[in-house]
Amino acid sequence: MPARALTRAVVRFGGLLRRQSLPITPRQVLDAVRALDHLDVLDREEVRLGLRATFVTRPEEAAVFDRAFDAFWRARTEADEVAEALAGPAVPEDGGGPELESQGAARERLALEGWGEMEQEDGDDPLSVPAASEAEAMAARDFSTFSAEQLDDVLRLTVKIAKRLARRVSRRRRPVRRRGRVDLRRTLRANLTRGEIIELRYRRRKRRKVRLVLLCDVSGSMDLYSRFLLQFLFALQHVFARVETFTFSVHLTRVTDHLHARSYREVLKRLQDVRDWSGGTKIGESLAEFNRRWPHLVDRRTIVIVLSDGWDTGDPDVLATELLRIKRRAGRVIWLNPLLGNPSYEPLTRGMAAALPLVDHFAAAHNLAALRDLADRLHL
Amino acid sequence: MREEIRKIQSLMEAAEYVTDAPVATSVHLALSLKKPLLIEGHAGVGKTEVAKVMARVLETNLIRLQCYEGLDAAAALYEWNYQKQLLHIKLHEGAARALDQEEHEIFSEPFLLKRPLLQAITQERAPVLLVDEVDRADEEFEAFMLEIFSDWQVTIPEIGTVKATHPPHVILTSNRTRELSDALRRRCLYLWVDYPTFDKEVAIVERKVPGIDGRLAREISRFMESLRRVRLAKVPGVAETLDWAQALAGLHADHLDETIVTETLGCVLKDADDIRRFHAEVAKGGLTPFLQVP
Repeated sequence: MPARALTRAVVRFGGLLRRQSLPITPRQVLDAVRALDHLDVLDREEVRLGLRATFVTRPEEAAVFDRAFDAFWRARTEADEVAEALAGPAVPEDGGGPELESQGAARERLALEGWGEMEQEDGDDPLSVPAASEAEAMAARDFSTFSAEQLDDVLRLTVKIAKRLARRVSRRRRPVRRRGRVDLRRTLRANLTRGEIIELRYRRRKRRKVRLVLLCDVSGSMDLYSRFLLQFLFALQHVFARVETFTFSVHLTRVTDHLHARSYREVLKRLQDVRDWSGGTKIGESLAEFNRRWPHLVDRRTIVIVLSDGWDTGDPDVLATELLRIKRRAGRVIWLNPLLGNPSYEPLTRGMAAALPLVDHFAAAHNLAALRDLADRLHL
Repeated sequence: MREEIRKIQSLMEAAEYVTDAPVATSVHLALSLKKPLLIEGHAGVGKTEVAKVMARVLETNLIRLQCYEGLDAAAALYEWNYQKQLLHIKLHEGAARALDQEEHEIFSEPFLLKRPLLQAITQERAPVLLVDEVDRADEEFEAFMLEIFSDWQVTIPEIGTVKATHPPHVILTSNRTRELSDALRRRCLYLWVDYPTFDKEVAIVERKVPGIDGRLAREISRFMESLRRVRLAKVPGVAETLDWAQALAGLHADHLDETIVTETLGCVLKDADDIRRFHAEVAKGGLTPFLQVP
């Protein structure tokens, strides 16, 4: 065992990393202490590499680790002060400072602050869920027509529906035409007493879960619909092998890790931090960024869902090229456009016109009924 | 630097692997803490190579479990040799033998097909177990593997429990086609392997392509470094560098020019869009920008 002081320092360092929101387990701290036994503790670089191997579990964390390490081991005696100092600026309170916010942005911000209020609660007061007929009426209404007070109810209903769907989807068995492969292990067992293979046992190929990649437009009016879609799919998520979520307006942001937070309230609170407040939507650029940085998330077992009204201020050719890239690799591409819920709407915007030929399924997702229909499309 | 780490580094160098401090430190800790080492990185940066070299350095067997979608316990652990069992039953049909004796016989070790995980725990000397591209396997399989890693024993109902006397050294590699579970990540030491620096890549080329012209090796490495900065769909790794260096050495080239790069571009770029993009860049400014220090 390394010297006591050193052990304590490592434990404190683990605490510091935790405050930097690296999910450090006691086990990892123990390993780190053990690792010091096998390292030259006077060689700072070696200690850094060794501790990094035990504390860091994904590449994104390496930069956080290095920063924390430099701060911590520079002045170990003042470690706690350093930790305080680090924790402060690491979590910015305001995106770009209030003076940068336009009036419109301030309004959006207010709307977003409400996101935190719709945490799903199981075993919630049953009276707060509308009665069946009322629910049906609610299901057909466009999300944007609800008042702020009603939205809470609608959200709770969304979660209810999603959970019911989740149960149904996971129980459903698709009929198989062929009987599958002969399962030799069980066949032999079953026929052991007969000396002859009389009865064959079959094995069905395991049905694999589908992965989802969500690309949600969060600019202006799309924000509300994105909230509902996210909430809906969040409640459905265990039906899928994995749900990867991105939001975009001008830039693309990966929010999957934010969605792994313990409660949805927390999640939506955190999403506020990743919003960019400038106007305009660059769908093509955002998809390009997705293709460049996360191409490995899309394969034949993946359904890619884009939620956007197609008002693209960028180049429609870029949108078409990048969407084609996705389509080539994905199992299916679904485009959700809430405007489609309006009977007089025609997808004539340049962006939408460019995207439409490349989309496998084009739907509205503007109300609960539409979300329910969507759930039926989410298998390959 | 700790003596052991330096030793590992020099042993790896001797085994034709150009290494650096992060790799050597991680391997050293994996060996001394007896923990699995999870190596992530882009395709073609030499993740698998670490395990191969480790086996060579430790003078032990390398057992490889290649993961794929749908890989299950039977394919990874063990399976009974059914054909052989059936034949055996047929051959002894006439002899009136007790059922339990028959059963005991065909469910014994000669009828057992050991798959990589079982092989790994039944070795005389601790082998290196390479679980390659673990991100391709399903999440269920990940959980199954964690179970094996935790106590290194396997229970075969017909035979009993097999416990490893020499637990293997485990290397897992992942290309990040899927995020691995946190449980697996925390159980392992972690190493991210990035594209090599210019100096390291030159060293790799000179080591792996003996007799290559020194200037050419530097030009190739510089070119690759620049190329990785262009926004490509399939960024070439070290494997591509080496293929290309081999090809150029085979053509007796001693420097890069537009003609020879165009002729051999297939070694490096393997996506139609990327090739188009590269040609557009070259049409704009020629090859020179690719050969300059950024």
